[in-house]
Amino acid sequence: MVDLIKRAKELIETSAVRVVIGYEQGIGNKTRALFVEKAEDAGKLIFDSRCVQNLAVYITKKEIKEKGKMAIAATLPVMRSIIQLASEFQVNDNNLLVLGITAESKLIEFANLVEVETFVHQYQIEIDARNKEMLDKLGKMTQAERWKFWIDELAPCFKCYACRAACPMCYCHRCTVDFNQPQWIPVPSHELGNLEWHIMRAMHLTGRCIDCDACYNACPLSIPINLLTKKMLEDAKEHFGGYQPSLKGDHLMSTYKPDDKENFIH
Amino acid sequence: MSKIGVFVCHCGENISSTVDCEKVAATVGKYDGVAFSVDYKYMCSDPGQSIIKNAIAEKGLTGVVVAACSPRMHEPTFRKVCAEAGLNPYMCEMANLREHCSWVHEKGEATTEKAIDLVRILVEKVKYNQSLNSIKVPVTKTALVIGGGIAGIQASLDIANTGHKVILIEKDPSIGGHMSQLSETFPTLDCSQCILTPRMVEVAQHPNITLYTYAELESLEGFIGNFKAKIRKKSKSLDEKLCTGCGLCTTKCPTKKIPSEFNEGLGNRTAIYVPFPQAVPNKPVIDRIHCTYYTKGKCKICEKVCPTGAIRFDQEDQIVEVEVGAIVVATGFAVKRPDFFPEYGYGKYADVITGLQFERLASASGPTLGEIRRPSDGKIPEKIVFLACAGSRDPAKGIPYCSKICCMYIAKHAMLYQHKVHSGKSYVFYMDIRAGGKMYEEFVRRAIEDDGVNYIRGRVSKIYEKNGKLIVSGVDTLLNAMPVEIEADMVVLATAGVANEGAEELAQKLHISYDPYKFFAEAHPKLKPVETNTGGIFLAGSCQAPRDIPESVAMASGAAVKVAGLFSQDELTREPIIAVVNRQAAPVYSSCVGCFLCVSACPYQAIEKEEIKNRTGDLIKSIAKVNPGLCQGCGTCVAFCRTKSIDIQGYTHEQMYSEVMALLNEY
Ligand SMILES: Cc1cc2nc3c(=O)[nH]c(=O)nc-3n(C[C@H](O)[C@H](O)[C@H](O)COP(=O)(O)OP(=O)(O)OC[C@H]3O[C@@H](n4cnc5c(N)ncnc54)[C@H](O)[C@@H]3O)c2cc1C
Ligand code: SF4
Ligand code: SF4
Repeated sequence: MVDLIKRAKELIETSAVRVVIGYEQGIGNKTRALFVEKAEDAGKLIFDSRCVQNLAVYITKKEIKEKGKMAIAATLPVMRSIIQLASEFQVNDNNLLVLGITAESKLIEFANLVEVETFVHQYQIEIDARNKEMLDKLGKMTQAERWKFWIDELAPCFKCYACRAACPMCYCHRCTVDFNQPQWIPVPSHELGNLEWHIMRAMHLTGRCIDCDACYNACPLSIPINLLTKKMLEDAKEHFGGYQPSLKGDHLMSTYKPDDKENFIH
Repeated sequence: MSKIGVFVCHCGENISSTVDCEKVAATVGKYDGVAFSVDYKYMCSDPGQSIIKNAIAEKGLTGVVVAACSPRMHEPTFRKVCAEAGLNPYMCEMANLREHCSWVHEKGEATTEKAIDLVRILVEKVKYNQSLNSIKVPVTKTALVIGGGIAGIQASLDIANTGHKVILIEKDPSIGGHMSQLSETFPTLDCSQCILTPRMVEVAQHPNITLYTYAELESLEGFIGNFKAKIRKKSKSLDEKLCTGCGLCTTKCPTKKIPSEFNEGLGNRTAIYVPFPQAVPNKPVIDRIHCTYYTKGKCKICEKVCPTGAIRFDQEDQIVEVEVGAIVVATGFAVKRPDFFPEYGYGKYADVITGLQFERLASASGPTLGEIRRPSDGKIPEKIVFLACAGSRDPAKGIPYCSKICCMYIAKHAMLYQHKVHSGKSYVFYMDIRAGGKMYEEFVRRAIEDDGVNYIRGRVSKIYEKNGKLIVSGVDTLLNAMPVEIEADMVVLATAGVANEGAEELAQKLHISYDPYKFFAEAHPKLKPVETNTGGIFLAGSCQAPRDIPESVAMASGAAVKVAGLFSQDELTREPIIAVVNRQAAPVYSSCVGCFLCVSACPYQAIEKEEIKNRTGDLIKSIAKVNPGLCQGCGTCVAFCRTKSIDIQGYTHEQMYSEVMALLNEY
């Protein structure tokens, strides 16, 4: 990633941005996020197939935003997140520069978010084959079997909220679970409380989730919670024609349309 | 600590016959926070109201639950009682023991238990109620009338005559609607144009009416008293101020073979045209689809001949924005046309025509100057057959309803035919004769008895051509389904009256409801026939269901009175049941993160962005803000907000939660 290192160095040196967000070598075989604020740190930047964390999660953080203009090394899922976040007024051209990384690991610097959007729109969001198979399997189960599947899967969840912390779309300062007057979603981790939390999470991500799997990768118990959001992705496609994050902000689930047929209500 | 008073009403015996009201009052009286609990035969009566007032004064109640009928019935009554006793009216709630319990269950333990549950829910809710004040909004005293048929004309004139301004928009080049196409009208046989034209002229000349023809509603925002409408004035390719209506252009236009809409295709018109001689306004428009200049790029003859230089080929559609306080929808209806009746050969045989076409043939200003002549060869038909219920009352055709006007106009048509063709023979095939109305039955009897029209009860299965005659083959159900065949020269179909094309889109623009047939829905079939479910929007005429002229006019006057009533106030009082985005102290300001998904979700465009700035003017945070004038309290935003930053006053999260918990928890 010589190009990336060179460009990051320039950006910091010329004060074009205050911080460059990318990946560095972590402990063991893991990679982790790096925040380059000094030119000499740019050399630590790496990029390879292990770099799957969705870095877009940082660009809405107060501590990072406060530093000034940000640049971010962004793979396709990260770029999708950025466009969704821009449509929700969380980032804009004034505070973010996108250094895109293509599937072939090539660096492309985008002049603005419109260019990022154009790039992103070349690719449809597709559920991978393994998960698709799992969804089909779940779909074929009886209601009772499916209920048991989820109760069993979610039982061990101890509500560490790592999934929430890893998700770029969970930028709310006050999550619904943190709302305690009244406490709609119970805090303790018990069967029903866990189910409520995960259903709520999936609902809040419907029409917004860009299927990066950050939640699943973050879960210390490897609970397949991404199946819930993937199922919502499928349903969104089946009932509303699907979506791509877009700067126009025609949010799939939260745009009032007088001609909405609501024929999915049976 | 709350001091809540509970007042359980027997509603005569409506509630007490299945619910043990004394037990409800006694049980609820023991709950935490309930300071007073009583039952009484009629809470809404004067003595009943006094019980509530006295309890508020004597016990110092902080909240009131009236367990009685539906809040739709008496919530205003009891809130007023509380206000009169010095308690904020929004501290009063109603538990619906009648519709939700006593009326739908048998007498018994469980019914009383349910009644107790219903009261307890509200007791817990009232503990979280807060004093609220009603909202006042100004009223824009201008009405928008959509559609310039007889209904729209009458509504406009009636509203304008109360001294208020009216904007009337009509999609066609002239006002008049279907009535302008009719020859004579039942049940008096007076000439349609003769009674209509003076009203059309009155509209054009009325100082309080602004008329936009060739115009349609583009979009509508706002709410009762405060609508903002965008009107698209379609380009007429004409400077209306310069045009004197001399009509020279229409005589010189070389594109002359366009089927005239006004004459239902039985005559032709030019590309620059006035739909009919009595049109209002009497100025032409260019039909760009057919005009040689717009299609081929060459011609402009009208421009050359126009003595005042009024033609404007480059004129564009214009969007006019208006503010209005009320809207009357009077967009009328349509009749079923060709290819809907393959079994009757419509569209295949030139001499099978619709009722509306017959009107044009019978009209003195029509293509035959009022003589009944066949479209095919211009011969006067010696035998004519009229078919009632063509499409109507036919579930297989998707029109199970009765179009209502056809029985009457068929009698009229047959009568007009007999008056004009003395030697002719006329037949009517009918299912039933529906002649309910003043002088209507007499009118039909006249057709049968005085004018000798042959009425045959039965349906026609098919019509086919043989030796230049139309063979109408059906059965006479009064003669044991005996087959009947008539060799006719002409057949007139009373085709079903249906909703306009585009009615659905218009309803969606206006946020009003419509029935399965796309006719606009009234708010109540009996008690609110001209209101819609959307405040400030009213219905007149046949856009609500097929209607004849007297009914359309009556509805129009009814709608006009509703508008005038609305305009008699300077301010409207609205319930404060609206959404509010929370505000907190600095540095948080609000739990809102400014994602603004609520903005696109709100059906009433009631949510705006608010920028919070520091003293030096730097932006600290953007958050959502609800415009109390626009919010309808639907709650959509509340459901969407992930940070739970929005509450509906009177239905807050805490109130709803306490209700749910009251139901789930053991007592
Ligand atoms: C063959 C026939 C014979 C009849 N004979 C009689 C009779 O003898 N006596 C009798 O009492 N009744 C008779 N009627 C019924 C009569 O025609 C109706 O009662 C009357 O026309 C209803 O008036 P209206 O204003 O509601 O609707 P319409 O006459 O349909 O007028 C609606 C107007 O709204 C306009 N419009 C529609 N959509 C829009 C839009 N989106 N924006 C702006 N403008 C719009 C239309 O162009 C039209 O000008 C007859 C009907 C038919 C079909
Ligand atoms: S341009 Fe020609 S065709 Fe068009 S309206 Fe004028 S005269 Fe008719
Ligand atoms: S010729 Fe000119 S003035 Fe005369 S009607 Fe036509 S447009 Fe109007």
